[in-house]
Parts: sequence; C-alpha cells; structure tokens
Amino acid sequence: MKRPSRDELQKPGYEIPDELKGSVVVTTLNRLYNWGRRNSVWPMMFGLACCAIEMIATAASRYDLARFGMEVMRPSPRQSDVMIVSGTVTKRMAPLIVRLYNQMPMPKYVIAMGACASGGGPFKEGYNVVSGVDKLIPVDVYIPGCPPTPEALLFGLMKLQQKIERQSFKEVYTKPDYIPEPVLGPDLMDPRDYPKIREYTQKKLQELQQQAAQAAQG
Amino acid sequence: MDGRGILQGLAVTLKHFIASYVDDFKRKNRYFSEEGVKYRSSPEVEGIFTIQYPEERRLLHENFRYIPFLVYDEGENGQQDIRCTACGICAKVCPAQCIWIVRAKDPNTGRPVSKPAEFYIDTFLCMNCGLCAEFCPFDAIIMDHDYEVAMYERADSVFDLKRLLKSAAYYQDIRPTQYAEKAAEREAKAKAKAARRGARK
Repeated sequence: MKRPSRDELQKPGYEIPDELKGSVVVTTLNRLYNWGRRNSVWPMMFGLACCAIEMIATAASRYDLARFGMEVMRPSPRQSDVMIVSGTVTKRMAPLIVRLYNQMPMPKYVIAMGACASGGGPFKEGYNVVSGVDKLIPVDVYIPGCPPTPEALLFGLMKLQQKIERQSFKEVYTKPDYIPEPVLGPDLMDPRDYPKIREYTQKKLQELQQQAAQAAQG
Repeated sequence: MDGRGILQGLAVTLKHFIASYVDDFKRKNRYFSEEGVKYRSSPEVEGIFTIQYPEERRLLHENFRYIPFLVYDEGENGQQDIRCTACGICAKVCPAQCIWIVRAKDPNTGRPVSKPAEFYIDTFLCMNCGLCAEFCPFDAIIMDHDYEVAMYERADSVFDLKRLLKSAAYYQDIRPTQYAEKAAEREAKAKAKAARRGARK
C-alpha cells in the first residue's frame, strides 16, 4: 500500500482502505473537529416572513431538528452559528440583518431560505425589497421554494453540514471584513421631504394642466 | 394554580414517551417503511411521530407542488419528444414572470418550429403557485414533487431545459390520478376531432 502524504490525509475525501476499517481509528484533527462542528450547528431564532412558519415546523417534533444537533435556537447572535434568513428581506430590515450578522462569532454561516431571501422572489422588483440577501451578506446555501417544505430546509441544512465537513479549521476562524450596515436607498422617500415632494408634484401637475388647456385652445 | 397544570403537561409527555415503546413492541415496520410513516402520520398514533427525514420521507399528497418540470414522451427510437410547443402561455400567466422560453428554428428554412430551443425557470422567482401547469393546454409543464433542490451557488438557480426535462413515466409515477384524467381527456378530444373530420368528408 502506498503511504499517503500528509496533505492527502488532511482531505476529508480520503477513503480509509478496507483492511483497516473497523480495526484502527484513523482520523485527522480536521475530520474530528469538523465532525463536532457540523453536528452542533445552532441556528439563530429569527424569522422574517412566512418561511419562518416552515422553519418553526422543522424545529417541532414532526421533523425534529434535534436529530441534527440543531435544536437549540439561540435568541442571541453571539451564541449562534447559522443564520437562517427565512423570508422576504425588506429594506427596512436590511440594516438589522447585517448588524446581526456582524455580531455573530466566527465561523458563521448563512442560509437563504425560500425564494424571497435567495433572490427576491415575486417581490424582486418591489420598491421596498432587497432582491436576495446575498446582496448584503455572503450566503452559504440557497433553498428555493415558496415556502420550502420542512424536508427542503432539512436538505439545505444537510448540504451546509457537508460544506462544513469540507472546510479546514485553520481557515474558518479568520476574521471577515466588517460589513457596513446599509442605509435606506434613494428610492425610499424621506418623510421629512414630504412637503417638498408635495410642492413639486403640484407644480408639475399645474404645468401639465396649463399645457393641456393651451392645447385645447390652440 | 398549585402546579397541577405542569403535572398534567408532564403526564401527557410521559404518556407519549411510554406509548412509543409500547408501539415498538406492538407493531412491526414502525420505522423506515411506507406503512410505518402512514401510521405515524395518522391521528391514531400514540407514541413518537417524528419522520426521520433523510432515511424516510413523508407521503406526499398527489397535488403537492414544488418547482415545475417539463414532460417528455419516450419516442420509438428512444428520443425525447418534448410535449412543450413553446406557445408561451405559461410565461404569460406566471405571476412572478420566472419563465423564459426561446422558440426553436428549423435549421434549413429558418422558420420557427413549435418546440422550445431554450426553456428557463428562475427558481428564485418561482412561487410554486401551479398556474403554469393549470393553464398549459398540452399538459407539458407539471409541478414537481422533488424538493431537494438546495444549492451552493446563485448561478445554479436558473434551471435550463436539460435540468427541467423529466419523463412521462415519472409524471405518471408522482401524479397517477391526474395523469389518467388528462390522458383520457386528450383521447376524447382526438376522437371528437376524428369524428368531425369523418362527418365533413
């Protein structure tokens, strides 16, 4: 048997030969560490829209997230590993989501659950909806569906577990760049400008009416 | 008031806890089988009713809807006859406008043919409403039962023709009643057409 190199052993894809199976515990620190990490992914207790109902159903006893070590929905971002963005991300909610993401400790993961969180969904071109939470924060797993059934969410979480398994624990603790909180864009009106806007529209309306009257005369 | 409520609640939990072990003794095939899942989904179940998802699946209702797919019929030589005629009705009725169709062209004459060259569904827009399947006159676009579509990259979200095509056998497998109904409908239509033709002659 060819002796595998150290780098080869580090990779989770390295298969243990048959004659060694069941007799020797062969593992790397990376595998052991990631095995622990992927079986205790704590989600943040945080729901945005109708997808949150499916997330609650997933955590309830019919589907039972506890089988994956994810039953502890933490109400604080500082104790959670994964943020399940479950629902439409409105522009009002965007700064808060980014703030919560910034407050989560490394390593942190984001799941965009449902069509709205992944890409805006039917509200993609709405004036008040962020078309996909990946415009604000990096997303690890996208789950399409409107809303995804509990099984679909579980499948997404299992995909996340596979992703965690492939990572190297040397790299996951590097601190990411601080993501600045977005401010409300120019397409939302500032309430303080309402008198100005009203003045402007009325002026425009009067001009149009005058033009129409002139056209009728001429 | 005096904690009886808590005790009652705990008694319910304890009852279910014991009942799940009693059930284990009483029933065979309680786990990882279709009848086991059926029993645990029924209101008679006493003990634990968790469906252990990756190993066993909930029995889906026939009209369960997820991202739609396109149906093809198996041809005589094993080729795929796509039912879709690229009429664009599904793209028009789609409330989220997630369907994009490019009609195929005859390579010799350059005229459009009634077949799709490209067919895209943006799954990040699709809201699984089922209007496309309801309006399709050719029974070519059907709502799928496959919910395992999570992805790592946003670029994978747009399903193309290759990803969307599934056989008529699969359609019959997931929606037997609807398949039979639609097949009968089409047959009756074909018969009426033939009769009209005969009368005209």
